[in-house]
Amino acid sequence: MSAGEIKIVFAGPMGAGKTTAICSVSDVPPVSTEVANTDQAAFAKELTTVALDFGQLLMSDGTVVHLYGTPGQQRFSFMWEIAARGALGVVLLLDGSSATVEEDLRTYLRVFCNVAQSQPLVIGVGRLEPGEQDRLIDFHAVVRELSVNVPIFNIDVRHRKDTLLLIESLLLILEASNPGVQHDVA
Amino acid sequence: MSPKLPVTAEKLSALNLLLHGFATTNAEVHLLLLTSEDGFEVAAHPATDARTARIAAMSSSIQALSDSLMREVGLARSNSLIVEADAGAIVVIGLHVAKPRMSLSIFTSKQQLLGKLLWAVRSLAASIEAELLR
Repeated sequence: MSAGEIKIVFAGPMGAGKTTAICSVSDVPPVSTEVANTDQAAFAKELTTVALDFGQLLMSDGTVVHLYGTPGQQRFSFMWEIAARGALGVVLLLDGSSATVEEDLRTYLRVFCNVAQSQPLVIGVGRLEPGEQDRLIDFHAVVRELSVNVPIFNIDVRHRKDTLLLIESLLLILEASNPGVQHDVA
Repeated sequence: MSPKLPVTAEKLSALNLLLHGFATTNAEVHLLLLTSEDGFEVAAHPATDARTARIAAMSSSIQALSDSLMREVGLARSNSLIVEADAGAIVVIGLHVAKPRMSLSIFTSKQQLLGKLLWAVRSLAASIEAELLR
């Protein structure tokens, strides 16, 4: 990747909003590999990503952020390492309404801390009901179990500003470890 | 196999026969795989290959990326994808006529002539689509 380009990966279980998040912030029509989901019993979703999503976000200093979305289903886990190659950070999205959200957090955190070792990671939890913000405390407890220290946000990736918050937080963590480099989202 | 794939047992049996017949007349082909668009195995020959679930997922990924690339460059629909390797080749053909959409993946050794294989695979794909539409 050339100077002025950054790669960020969006990861998380199926239905967490990875494709939606990239669509909400991409400055170009995003590349999608969504196809019909034939296993409606397991996942009540019409479409599912089977390879990757790709979008681009142009920052005010001219830096281009390449946004890669991974497929969420475990049988496509071979794509996680492929998509994460060269990524400067990971945005982990979770579905707060899922019965398995804490297990998903453990699973994906373990995988992506291994796949993208020493790269910063931020977590966005969507579909929390009003008044459920205290659940973030539970998610922090899970993260501490794994001896990891990452920010966790209550977000709605359908809103551009929420997805940008996750990306900006990731960039701030990167800047903190590289004080000479600053990025401003356009 | 996806539990919700609308392929009857009778049709599945017919599809397996088509795959078996192709493998019998094309000795250099060592794996044939019919997969759903979202990466589930529908039929395979040989049926006992332990890798088919994973390969089915990978085939659907590569088919989807191929479709996406064709859309991006304005070449309409991806019909077939060929990957040539040191020890053989893979041909992935999209089956677009029947619903739900599927892909046919053929894995062959280096000894197989690619042109001959492509002709044979396209003929097999047409037979599979005819069976799915029946």
